[in-house]
Amino acid sequence: MNSLGVLLDLPSVRLALLALVLGSVALPIVGVFIVGLDIMPVRFAMMHVALLGIAIGLLTGLDPLLCALVLCAVTGGSLTPLARSGTGLSGAMGLLMTLAIAAALLVLSISGVNANGAFELLWGSILATRPGDVVALGLLAVLVPLLYGLRRRDLGLLLHDRELALCSGVAVERLTLILLVVIAVAIASAIRLTGALLVDALTLLPALAARRVGRSLPSMIRWSVLFGLAFNVGGFLLALLFDLPPGPTLVLVGGACTLLLHSIPERGLTR
Amino acid sequence: MEYADVRSPHVRARTGATTPAVIAAALRLSAVRCRHGRLIAVDGVDLTLAPGEHLAITGTNGSGKSTLLRAVLGLHRETTGVIEVAGRQARGTADWRRRRAEVAWIPQRQGAGRFPLLVKELLDSGGHLDEAIAAAERLGVAGLLDRTLGTLSGGQLQRAYLARALGQVAAGAELVLADEPTAALDFAGQEQVAEVLAGLAAAVVVVTHDRVVAAACGRVAEMAAGRLREVR
Repeated sequence: MNSLGVLLDLPSVRLALLALVLGSVALPIVGVFIVGLDIMPVRFAMMHVALLGIAIGLLTGLDPLLCALVLCAVTGGSLTPLARSGTGLSGAMGLLMTLAIAAALLVLSISGVNANGAFELLWGSILATRPGDVVALGLLAVLVPLLYGLRRRDLGLLLHDRELALCSGVAVERLTLILLVVIAVAIASAIRLTGALLVDALTLLPALAARRVGRSLPSMIRWSVLFGLAFNVGGFLLALLFDLPPGPTLVLVGGACTLLLHSIPERGLTR
Repeated sequence: MEYADVRSPHVRARTGATTPAVIAAALRLSAVRCRHGRLIAVDGVDLTLAPGEHLAITGTNGSGKSTLLRAVLGLHRETTGVIEVAGRQARGTADWRRRRAEVAWIPQRQGAGRFPLLVKELLDSGGHLDEAIAAAERLGVAGLLDRTLGTLSGGQLQRAYLARALGQVAAGAELVLADEPTAALDFAGQEQVAEVLAGLAAAVVVVTHDRVVAAACGRVAEMAAGRLREVR
């Protein structure tokens, strides 16, 4: 077993912990939005779009991760018209991920870059967190709770029922656009921490756990942040203690806790 | 078409009218046609509803009744023709937001939604919480304010939506669109809702299969294969 004190003195470990704490504020709230809009495949779609962004970065010589972030934001925004129909967004994700991965492979082929190099950027590593990643997560940690605070009523109605929101004076199109851009940017930022395959640990798992215990949007938001902090910081410390890979450990801790919560009978939960 | 403004002084004041005058029809439809892809759901409907007038629309399932109400609110996109509420057509986003704010709506599909919403939040969504809570008290659902919609029975949910609409009317909405507002209610509930709707000073269009509700309306029209035919 490793000594936590020694490990926490390492700058890369401290930076990773800071990134995880900041990520645990914003990303679980984004997870609640994803669950509410019923667009769980969005993370797969954005993973593919991020790969296309990386490929474009490698082709043009720009920062690949910045390209991924910007492309995810633009793609998220351009999906807004599809949200008008109940199944529009969810169905569009399949099309989007197919097109994005095909375009990414084409761009990688044209640029002559080894595709494995681009894919490696998608796996992510918490211990390779850079100060720029922390800044991005810090901005999200301010902006996402601010968005929730300013638009709490409208968000509650939109996530409940789009038509009720429309008939209650909510600017549904604009709010959906903002949400999709925030979701896309948050996923692109989280990919850097845990990698694309494990991005659920930071977004969806806390939201799914919160859905089990929260009975309104405000309580779900509070629970999701608490669960996010507990899963991510707890998982990270466990990984450090037992010298395990952090990404999978985070996911397994979060997944096991979420599963446990969902296995408790309804009457056993104090709401 | 214009009508004498017989609204109470406080309602006129709220809508900006200070002296008795003539006002537009509460609802005017001209050659309204709605499509679901290739299917024509509403086929050339003309209708004029005076302020305060109550109309029941009956008809078989799938005859286009709900689509017609949704078209008035801009919820059905494939719509052509003229739809005026209080003499105004909705053309842009701002117009539609205004339209939806000035029309009280009781939807047919009052599903529990994808996400939890408290009854109090539903009542507040109409924009007039105090009036809606007062209506909820009259309808016997004021004790459910802190419950989520998903935990309510069908009848409780319908009463909650009705309370929201009544709150909007109390605050000045002059048109109520109600889509089968008694479908999940017991006999006593149906009579109560029919009585409440009949007592509204606002114009009402109610889609219903309920004879009690239809009998309480001054006008009755039947919808068949997308066409509207006045029967009383």
